[in-house]
Amino acid sequence: MSVRLDGDVIILEGQCRVEDAEPLLGLLQADRGRSVDLTGAEHLHAAVLQILMALQPTIGGTAGDAFLRDWITPALVGKNPVGSDPRGS
Amino acid sequence: MDDLLQHFIVEAHELIQQATDDLLALERNPQAAAPMDSAFRAVHTLKGSVGLFDFAPMGIALHAAEDLLGALREKRAGIDSHVIDSLLACIGQAERWVAGIEQTGDLPPDAAEEGYRLARALRSQLDEDPAQAADAVPQADLGWIEELMAQGPDWAALRAQDRPLVAIRYTPRADCFFAGDDPMALLRSVPDLMAVRLSPRDPWPPAAEIDPFSCNLRIEAISGAELDRVKAIFRFVPDQVTLREIARTAQEPASGMVLASGAAGVAMGAAGGAGARMLRVDASRIDRLADLVGEMVIAKNALAHLAGQFDDGLDRKRISQGLLASQAAIERLVAELHGAVMDVRMMPMRDIFRRFPRAVRDLAGQLDRAIDFSMEGEEVEADKAVVEGLFEPLLHILRNAVGHGAEPESLRLEAGKPVRTRIVLRAYRDGDRVRVEVEDDGRGIDPAAIREAALQRGIALADDLDRMSDADALDLIFAPGFSTASEVTDLSGRGVGMDAVRSAVERLGGQVSVRSRPGQGTTIRLSLPLTIVMTKVMAVRLGRELYGIPLDGILETAFVPASRVLPIRDAEAFVWRDRTLPLVRLADLLGIQPPGEDPQRLKVIVMAAGDDLVGVAVDGFAERMDVLMRPMTGILAGMPGVMGTTLLGNGSVLMILDIPELIG
Repeated sequence: MSVRLDGDVIILEGQCRVEDAEPLLGLLQADRGRSVDLTGAEHLHAAVLQILMALQPTIGGTAGDAFLRDWITPALVGKNPVGSDPRGS
Repeated sequence: MDDLLQHFIVEAHELIQQATDDLLALERNPQAAAPMDSAFRAVHTLKGSVGLFDFAPMGIALHAAEDLLGALREKRAGIDSHVIDSLLACIGQAERWVAGIEQTGDLPPDAAEEGYRLARALRSQLDEDPAQAADAVPQADLGWIEELMAQGPDWAALRAQDRPLVAIRYTPRADCFFAGDDPMALLRSVPDLMAVRLSPRDPWPPAAEIDPFSCNLRIEAISGAELDRVKAIFRFVPDQVTLREIARTAQEPASGMVLASGAAGVAMGAAGGAGARMLRVDASRIDRLADLVGEMVIAKNALAHLAGQFDDGLDRKRISQGLLASQAAIERLVAELHGAVMDVRMMPMRDIFRRFPRAVRDLAGQLDRAIDFSMEGEEVEADKAVVEGLFEPLLHILRNAVGHGAEPESLRLEAGKPVRTRIVLRAYRDGDRVRVEVEDDGRGIDPAAIREAALQRGIALADDLDRMSDADALDLIFAPGFSTASEVTDLSGRGVGMDAVRSAVERLGGQVSVRSRPGQGTTIRLSLPLTIVMTKVMAVRLGRELYGIPLDGILETAFVPASRVLPIRDAEAFVWRDRTLPLVRLADLLGIQPPGEDPQRLKVIVMAAGDDLVGVAVDGFAERMDVLMRPMTGILAGMPGVMGTTLLGNGSVLMILDIPELIG
């Protein structure tokens, strides 16, 4: 199981697949105060990712996976590599 | 220049022409399906061919044109002259680029900028493209790339490294999870990511209503990898992804564009099959040549058979009969072969006519005249040299028709004419001549105005002008110097006058005339030989030498008693059909010592020299013949008075004289 609850923290670990999306959604819907830890996540399926994007839980931990760390986590915590001002440069 | 590039150039010219024809047809009839499909195919193929070379700006512009055509084709609406204008502008630029490539092998340095400009102009017309509408992106078509780029790493440094960038917009289908797609896995496999932006395709619903199995993502990214590598990753979802190559050289990389989009698939290579196009000869004509050569072989075999009979000691009579029959057969075949080879040189007027609608349209736009242009007789054929030599004179005549013939709409309405000026370009066969006319129903030419202008410009004297018929006065438009600098504008390109038209047509062995009625319109008529390869000449004898004189200038041959030659000062004249004609002696013209004393009767050729008639005395008339005239080349090219040469049956060279030039 790549989605598990540890107290108030939802931990995503290893390869998170499409079937992990529904449990994740359930856990977040049940308590919107729960945060999500990505430290052990190796991949997030798009279905999982969009749950995180939609419900915007607090993201904790730094993913060990470079792709997640460099591109996906920043998008989730609102620090998109690409910001909101299109004319910024 | 390598072969592939040469094929490309030939093919590109054809495709550009095809696209131009089709676009003009579409403008006339926006609902026509055939030209729409044809234009799309032509642009698509051209774009594919361009992709084989390093002509990215051209590819970018053409791709935008293709997308626009594709959208128009889907929608069958919105085809107005504005859209056609921007498409033609793109095609026109492509034509100039191809011409440049032909000369230098590469695009000009400003091509990148121009390519983006054209592409932007075309893309801006894509606003109502249904595909874009489905995208539900309010911002300008490529704004997302700008946004992506704007916040990225140090793009300037990246560009300095000359790296190609690929912008990716991937909008997975809502049900893509059921198909087993993981858009994140695809994104992860994109090499050399430089920027990523994730957003919902539609706003997120309330938390309780979220469907975890419906994908609602939009993924935008920039990769530093080559387009092909990125394309390969998204090859299974081409309908959901848009790829844009961002040029590294452009000033504004963000507005850069398009080499290929996933949706359009991989550009089709069009190099295959282009090779056969270099020679544009109707295949049936080659077949006919092959047939004739086959018959020639049979005739040759008959000769071999005869030669064998010689050895067998057959009687002379039968052999001579056989020889005669064989000679007759070969003679017939040679004549047919010659005709067939001449046919290969024949080309239809279409090859140059098809370039005119575009030119007339452009001129009409520039001069703000409403023109109804039509063409007739595009299928009429003439020698390649004649047809190709007509392009510039005709273009000039058409310019005049638009610039000077056509009146503003208000004037036409007052005169009770249709609003649009009708201009007809017409070609037809007339015996062994081809006639080409440009007819307009514009304001016509006022002979009085011509007289006035001719007088001011010192073309003719007042007395002469008064005596001239109106027709002769009109003819003055062809006089050198009639078009003056004051008329030279960029628009009508009147740097050269109608005198250039006349001399160009005369170089082709043709004549030009004008007919006009004020208020009714003007017709410029060209008459040209079908072929300038075969020339009818009359051979004349001077001493022991033979010279040729082109038959088309000769009115008749006459015998003039020496007593009837009238000396006038140091010249001579004679009376012919109640007219007094100047007499010149060919020996004098050529600077040859006349042989002995004058004969009792002079042999005189009456011929036209310019507008006047003249008698040319020769020593004898010889036969008339059709000759293959070879123009003088090399250091002889400038030799005055000689049009060309031909080989006679006995191997000697016949010089063909230009008598009017000799008389000077």
